[in-house]
Amino acid sequence: MRYVLHSMKMLWKSATQYRSSLVMQIIAQLIMTAGDLLAVLVLMDRFLHIGRWQPAEVLFFFGVMQLTFAMTECFNRGLGSFEGMIGSGAFDSVLLRPRGLLLQVICSQLDPRRFGSFLVGGAAVALASRTLGLRWTAAKALLFGETILGSLMLLMGLFLIEATMCFFSVRSIEMVNALTYGGRSTCQYPIDIYPKPLRLLFLYVAPIALCMHLPVSVILDRPMFAVPGWCVWAAPLTGLLFFLLMVRAWYFGVRHYRSTGS
Amino acid sequence: MRTRKWTPYASVFRLRARLETQYRAAALGGLVTQAFFGSVLVCLYTALFDGNDPRALQETVTYVWLQQMFFRMLLNNDSELNGLIMTGGIAYTMIRPIDQHAYWMMRELATRLVGALMRLIPMVLLQFILPASMRMTLPESPVALMQFMVSLVLGAVILSEISGVRDVVIMKTLDTRGISAMINLIQMIFSGNIIPLTLFPDKAQALIRYQPFAQALDAPSRMYLHAQSAPEWLFNLSVQLGWIVLIAGLGRLLWARQMNRMTVQGG
Repeated sequence: MRYVLHSMKMLWKSATQYRSSLVMQIIAQLIMTAGDLLAVLVLMDRFLHIGRWQPAEVLFFFGVMQLTFAMTECFNRGLGSFEGMIGSGAFDSVLLRPRGLLLQVICSQLDPRRFGSFLVGGAAVALASRTLGLRWTAAKALLFGETILGSLMLLMGLFLIEATMCFFSVRSIEMVNALTYGGRSTCQYPIDIYPKPLRLLFLYVAPIALCMHLPVSVILDRPMFAVPGWCVWAAPLTGLLFFLLMVRAWYFGVRHYRSTGS
Repeated sequence: MRTRKWTPYASVFRLRARLETQYRAAALGGLVTQAFFGSVLVCLYTALFDGNDPRALQETVTYVWLQQMFFRMLLNNDSELNGLIMTGGIAYTMIRPIDQHAYWMMRELATRLVGALMRLIPMVLLQFILPASMRMTLPESPVALMQFMVSLVLGAVILSEISGVRDVVIMKTLDTRGISAMINLIQMIFSGNIIPLTLFPDKAQALIRYQPFAQALDAPSRMYLHAQSAPEWLFNLSVQLGWIVLIAGLGRLLWARQMNRMTVQGG
């Protein structure tokens, strides 16, 4: 844990060395996410509802997704450039150090620029919950926190798949993007508006919707599936489970690692 | 001697085109991504229309697939140029006796046009395996198809010229990633890739359909969906041509100024 805090501090220091550049990039991220927000607003302006959801509820789903994805990308930069790490042989030096391997890879790079997207997502959630007049109880707030964390773990797990593939083919495989970035685009909207194949994909194969949409629909007081209360609380845990599973897979990959460096 | 003058630009176009056809694996990967995103968007609009106005839904579905089919035209980053700017290698291309702006724009155009054409056949084949409700329609008439194709080529020219302006910004700021990402997103939103421009509020239509990014893929798509009368078509073409002249002019001006005060990196 001390290692994590220390490396975070160092990375933050290096990021703030070029302060104006950092601020510019955060603003750029903010504008980009605002563009996605604009798309949702334009569609809601024309259609007024989607399935059984009103605009403010759709905005809430959108906000939770952006918020979570921004956090994931912030921690994910090291994994995202893992291909480069393997290709250049830099992973060899990671193997030599007496710290957790995955921890080192994740902590090797953080991405504070994602703060811009995080802000837009948070603003969307706040705005939506005000428009809806949502009453936040302690239980709801707790469930909200659990949902964000669970989804964060799940998305990290999905990115780990890509990183694991790097061990076996030196070039990472683009198709996994359909699950990560495709998942973001798809699950910006509540999953129950989609036809069955997409629902199955994101409920059971890459369970973003299970982890995120089921609890969110309960927070909005409009449950998506008729399931007992404990299921709602258990749903975000699938994210944790998925993550742990993928960590195992990744370590399996480490054992098959053959250095490319010289 | 006129033909001689054009030879270098024609051959860079040809070379670039041939190179682009070598990237078959990249094309295949892109294809899977486009097919996935296209399907998700089609499902989303089906849910949004909710059974109302099946004709408008059909047109939106076709629009979405056209956008995905010609996605390659939209985003292109000349990594070679970026590399040359960052390493200072640009100095060597500057001493060649050719027009720099025209040379790089030809490369852009070839990559975009040929890349898109390469992906066209598999994307059309994809339509046959999709469920009937998710398929795009044929163009409204042969005339519509012809109008669409002419306009699409102009669209590729516009996109290349826009990237010419972007390149100058990169030369000035030496930031390749941030600016490109932002311009790409603006391009994706305002050319109709993220949501069809036809779905923007009716009041904003006059504004939204004549802005430069709409000239890339939105203007041709509208022709594909509805054949236009001769005067209407000529008007829309001249809007495209007008933006081309304007943006190309701006690009040439900026390039000429930048070439005179180029900061060459490295040592």
